[in-house]
Amino acid sequence: MLRRSMPRVMRALLVAGAFGCAAIGPVYAASDTMVALVPPGPHPYFATWKQGGADAAKAFGLKAADFKVPQQWQLSEQNELLESLLAQGYNGFVIFPGDPVGSVSTVSEMVSNGAPVVTAGGCLKDPSDAAFCLATDTGNSAYLGTKQLIRAMGPGKKRILHLTGFLADPNTQLRIDAVEKAATESGDQVVQVIADIDAPEPAAEKVNAYLAAHANDVDGIISTAWVPSVVAANALRKIGDKRIHMVAIDTDQVVLQAIKDGYVDGTMIQNPYGQAYIGAYAVDKLRSGCQVKADAPFKSNALTKKFIDSGTAFVDAHDVDSYVQTMQDKTKQLLSTFATTYLTCK
Amino acid sequence: MPLSYDTSSAAALPAATSALRSGLPRSRIFISNEFGLILLIVIFALVFGTMTHGFTSHFNLFTLGRNTAVNIMIGLSMMTVIVTGGLNLAVGAIGVCAAMLCGYALQVLHLPWPIALLLALALGAALGAVNGFAVVRTGLHSFIITLATMSIFYGVMIFLTRAEAYRNIPFGFVHFGSMKVLGDVSPLLLLALAVALALAALYRGSVLGREMLATGARREAAELSGIRTGRIITLCHMLSGALATVAALMLVARNGAAIPSMAGQLGQDWLLPAFLAPVLGGAVLNGGKAPVFGTCLGAALVSMLTSGLLLMQLGAFWVQTFLGLLLLLAMFLDKARRSYLAYRNLA
Repeated sequence: MLRRSMPRVMRALLVAGAFGCAAIGPVYAASDTMVALVPPGPHPYFATWKQGGADAAKAFGLKAADFKVPQQWQLSEQNELLESLLAQGYNGFVIFPGDPVGSVSTVSEMVSNGAPVVTAGGCLKDPSDAAFCLATDTGNSAYLGTKQLIRAMGPGKKRILHLTGFLADPNTQLRIDAVEKAATESGDQVVQVIADIDAPEPAAEKVNAYLAAHANDVDGIISTAWVPSVVAANALRKIGDKRIHMVAIDTDQVVLQAIKDGYVDGTMIQNPYGQAYIGAYAVDKLRSGCQVKADAPFKSNALTKKFIDSGTAFVDAHDVDSYVQTMQDKTKQLLSTFATTYLTCK
Repeated sequence: MPLSYDTSSAAALPAATSALRSGLPRSRIFISNEFGLILLIVIFALVFGTMTHGFTSHFNLFTLGRNTAVNIMIGLSMMTVIVTGGLNLAVGAIGVCAAMLCGYALQVLHLPWPIALLLALALGAALGAVNGFAVVRTGLHSFIITLATMSIFYGVMIFLTRAEAYRNIPFGFVHFGSMKVLGDVSPLLLLALAVALALAALYRGSVLGREMLATGARREAAELSGIRTGRIITLCHMLSGALATVAALMLVARNGAAIPSMAGQLGQDWLLPAFLAPVLGGAVLNGGKAPVFGTCLGAALVSMLTSGLLLMQLGAFWVQTFLGLLLLLAMFLDKARRSYLAYRNLA
């Protein structure tokens, strides 16, 4: 035992001296698939990734499909966590890139070390070594949500408030453009875009301040980020005036309850569970020798030409209780043809 | 060559000579920051090397060296201002602004990368000069000034770039961030050590360096000695800005792109390593001391702890907590060390 551990002790001493020199290889044999599902930071959107990974591990016989979260939504912390997970022996990754450009080199390093990467929830900007991107078509989701809002507000020129996420996230600009497009098409007006508020403190501060001063200047609210949806739903409940219509995004309990109580017209649901489940499945397939088809029918978005829509749907008071079933159906549908549509397996 | 300098060195020379004869320097070495840090690095390397999987793997050694290089530069950037008794909360914002200019020069202006790097360094130094000028002119503490400029610099950068990244970086430059030399050593680490040596030479061998230390130790006395302390403080902030730029350019090479979020919102991601490295290394917040070697060791310890704790799977949420506790512990230990030195008449 002592004899076996001595080289590692010596190695550690070398590290202490010079951070370099010789080193032993990874401890794990690469025979079992260990997938790490890594978001860019803590966020309620990723709450179902953990279950999605666990279910995939059970269903497909993976050694592990673990959910690992950086402490903060910071590129450097995600990069350090990814490097560490690779060193620990994880050999496949499903990640939401901390930055669509800044994560490209990290993904390249992981792939060059034999660990396939699927991006989920958010994409890398082409060119990258990620196998593909499995995510919500954010622009389309924002467009459809705005159309639903316009329908709910009724005829006549209406004034829309748009609440959205981080400016540094390129999806934010896509959402802003999509909402503007939908409003312009129907002759309505986006009177204000409040961005950079996908966190509790700035969202509460800015949304409440705006509604306190300009509630009468707004006919409808479209929210395209999780936290502003929650904050705005709460604000409308406090105001108690159902004149202002709202379409939210995602499935926070506050939003779902507000839909049931009539304060919010509906929400655009996404499929994070399916992203994790199918992402882990695909990584395992790629590790076992499958390759992405050269002529796979990928869609395109602003970042990549290897985009797969993980599904989105509008949920209102009529089907708010069955939204889980809606997304599970989409996941099953996508999975049933996934291998034959996107992969070539020997 | 000693790489930690303070203004009391010259005055204390006769006493030190006397102490040498009586054998006291040996105990002084043992209670120095640098010795303590080396000891801690060895201990933690042994702990992580034997208790974790992958700590000594090729990939981890390489990434550890690369992360250490960036942390060294961030730490040195803060240290050069701490030398004067000031602080620079805008290290991250300055670094990102300069890196974005580099990206703009490469992608939009199509300038050769050496010129783009020089432009970035010039902007970093210029933003540092703005900080220094404001500190000297207003008489306010640099904490306030740099807290304000952190938001100003970052906000203007976001406005000008519309938060868009620049990714058309020349292959040779990007390759520098991922290549390995001498086995698993990142060239970024060698660059960081070269910069540290240059800084050590500045503080040890140049009049300017001595004037910086003297200004930090006692500004009034330095002025009476004929040192233009306002100019020196501005120069220290310029140096800090340039070093922050080097750190940011390292990240550009590492990420393959100039990204507005590379140092977090307002560049705040850099603040903890910026303080940890020099404080662990023995910097005195009142100024007058430039522990270049200690700052490098402090950065290495921080990087190693981050890597080791992540590998131990304690949970990423504990890493920052642990680093924060380490900062507090370092302050307490430094205070205890000073008390001990004073008690033994070694200070």
